[in-house]
Amino acid sequence: MRTIVAASAVLILAVLPVAAPWLQFVLTVAIAKGFAALGVAVLLRAGLISIGHAMFFAASAYGVAFLARAGINDLGLLLILSVLVAALVGAIAGMFLVRYRAIFFAMLNLAVSMVFYALCAKLYGVTGGTDGLPVPIPAVFGIAVGEPVFKSVLFYLSLALMLLVGLAVQRYLNSPLGHALSAVHSNEIRLEYLGIPVWTVLLIAYVISAALAGLGGAIAGFAIGRVVPDFAFWTASGHLVLIAVLGGIGGVPGAFLGALFLELLHSAAVTVTDAWNLIVGMTLIIVIMFLPQGFYGLFSRKEASSL
Amino acid sequence: MAFKAISIVVARCLSSLELLFRLDRGLPQSNLRLVVDGLAGALAIGVVATTSVAAQEKPNAVGLGIFTFTSGPAAAYGMPGKNAADLMIDEINATGGIEGVPVSATYVDEAQGAQGVIAEYRRLAGDAKNQVMIAALSSATCLALAPLAEQLEVPTVGWNCDTHQLLMDGKSKYVFRPNGNTVPEFIAYAIYLLDRKPDVKTVAIINPDYAFGHDAAKIFTAALKALKPDIQIVAELYPKLGSPNYQTEISRLTTARPDVVFSNLWGADLENFVRQATPRGLFASSQVILALGETVLQRVPLPDGVIVGVLGDGWWMSPDAKANPETVKFAEAYKRRFGEYPVFPAIKMANALIYVKAAYKAAMQKNGGKRPTRAELADAMKGSKVATLTGTAQTRADNDGLVDQIVGVTVKTPAQQFPVIGDMARYKGDSLMPQVGQDPLAWISTLKPEFAKSLPKPGSYK
Repeated sequence: MRTIVAASAVLILAVLPVAAPWLQFVLTVAIAKGFAALGVAVLLRAGLISIGHAMFFAASAYGVAFLARAGINDLGLLLILSVLVAALVGAIAGMFLVRYRAIFFAMLNLAVSMVFYALCAKLYGVTGGTDGLPVPIPAVFGIAVGEPVFKSVLFYLSLALMLLVGLAVQRYLNSPLGHALSAVHSNEIRLEYLGIPVWTVLLIAYVISAALAGLGGAIAGFAIGRVVPDFAFWTASGHLVLIAVLGGIGGVPGAFLGALFLELLHSAAVTVTDAWNLIVGMTLIIVIMFLPQGFYGLFSRKEASSL
Repeated sequence: MAFKAISIVVARCLSSLELLFRLDRGLPQSNLRLVVDGLAGALAIGVVATTSVAAQEKPNAVGLGIFTFTSGPAAAYGMPGKNAADLMIDEINATGGIEGVPVSATYVDEAQGAQGVIAEYRRLAGDAKNQVMIAALSSATCLALAPLAEQLEVPTVGWNCDTHQLLMDGKSKYVFRPNGNTVPEFIAYAIYLLDRKPDVKTVAIINPDYAFGHDAAKIFTAALKALKPDIQIVAELYPKLGSPNYQTEISRLTTARPDVVFSNLWGADLENFVRQATPRGLFASSQVILALGETVLQRVPLPDGVIVGVLGDGWWMSPDAKANPETVKFAEAYKRRFGEYPVFPAIKMANALIYVKAAYKAAMQKNGGKRPTRAELADAMKGSKVATLTGTAQTRADNDGLVDQIVGVTVKTPAQQFPVIGDMARYKGDSLMPQVGQDPLAWISTLKPEFAKSLPKPGSYK
């Protein structure tokens, strides 16, 4: 049953752009944000709220822009390298950040990401300041393609990655390493007494979540075609947390559900009125009031009952 | 049809909410319904997405996508643009539209950021009715949309964005800017300043901390150094965009005691800066240049003698504008409808619409009165020379525009309650622009002090 639902949902996503070509861009960006929100959700499992994950999102997007400028011109290579950039930034930042818990963790993430934002905006000669950097269209496995083809390739690649990475993350969350995250949340001291190094568990989770955010950032960079410092602004980080909570952290699809919902809602709202912020905000309040477990809660409840 | 489908889905979703409050949750049947509803919702969104565009279709209307800030702090600058577009489009439609075809505009809020704007651009471009995009206000938006315009082959008119990077490569086929760019805009201030105060020694700069502020500082400084090499820049301050408080910066400026303070702050930032700087004597101790000062003339009491301008020729009270009955009519109608006279962003928008209208006319003359295609419209814009409300907009080979630059100082007039611009100079558009394909900053550094001698003097434009 679950597989059928998941398969039909992916199928609908795959055909939507055929019906409305402009939706392809919206959906690509939504999936990209879904990856980043999944990164946030992984940490939320351990009870750690990061209000700074847009930093990795942006680091990877800037990575794509710089690598492309340095002459690397292949989609696959650029994706892998930029995700590694984000993972590296995550490993460095994570080394000291995972020592902290609760509000201190959230605030320090926020602080580090805002330093990154300020650097992107201020290093005018390097990053182009607020006008940002262009992201050129790379070759796809050695074949030079035009813009419309590339955007379609990017969309279906993101869709495939969503499935593959989603399954991988699911496996990770169900592994002992993943379960240790919930254990950190419930009783960290007991975990240490069991001989599990909490710092390592969290660092691994942090690097994975940074890499996920990086994957999203790279896809978004390609889709948008331009990287601007706003990618790393704290409101963007807050947006990711919101997506994660909205979608529900109970399972991997939650992050993508939240991202798709929010992006489609945004797209619908801006076509209706200038006060689109109001519509988006009110809808969020309604969803959070009536679905405290997020959209994923709708599906997981069925799971519980079928046991 | 779509609306019916949505209402059914909404109703079913609402009814299924009741499941959440029931104790015996999770009957397989009802959960199935939830899932089905979810999927139906997704489908409905798809249906709406495809049909909403179709639903807006008016037979035989010229569709325009107009990009401006309608929310957030930048709306202080964006709303005059939207107001002007509303007014102009009403006027165009009242007089039979463009060549008999009514105009309908879709507005897009740039405050959503690059990603939202790109999504909207793609959506509007997907509908063949929308033939021209008037985009955008912010330079960052223009830079993000420019490659898209070329790829989707939609004529796109930059109505306000003025970064010199936009058309620098000279390869644009579909991006036009009938407006000039930052280079002539800020060189004009350097020339005007040196004519009015030839003995100026020290200059301080306070610009907003983003690309526009940094570009302007670079161009203004380079022009001053080229025209008068002994000038010193004693302070360069870049407060954050949207700062409410400028006291620290004002302290720095007053202690540096520069002969001249240059600023391209705008919107609420500029209003705040002027309100805070006036009581602290900044306007008395230094010659202040407010590059976008015209936008606040009607809102804050600026003292006399502040150098202000309109980043182009869009001053609604300029001699050329007053001589044009269309402009007078537009200004009066704008005042009646919105309670204020049109500031220069409004004029820029109105001129952009006139530019599009002229392109339509030219394209239809060329193809024998048929509805022009997007490519024909872009073709008509190329190299065009259009009479606007306040002068002419000439399109160069690289699609950048040549418009005159008006700079002057604030003076009081019995005719208005607010200060107006007097002692004006009107510089010809081509005299302040580098040649097509030339690097602007390299060109500025080649300028010699003699360059300014041939140009009009302050007060020459009456």
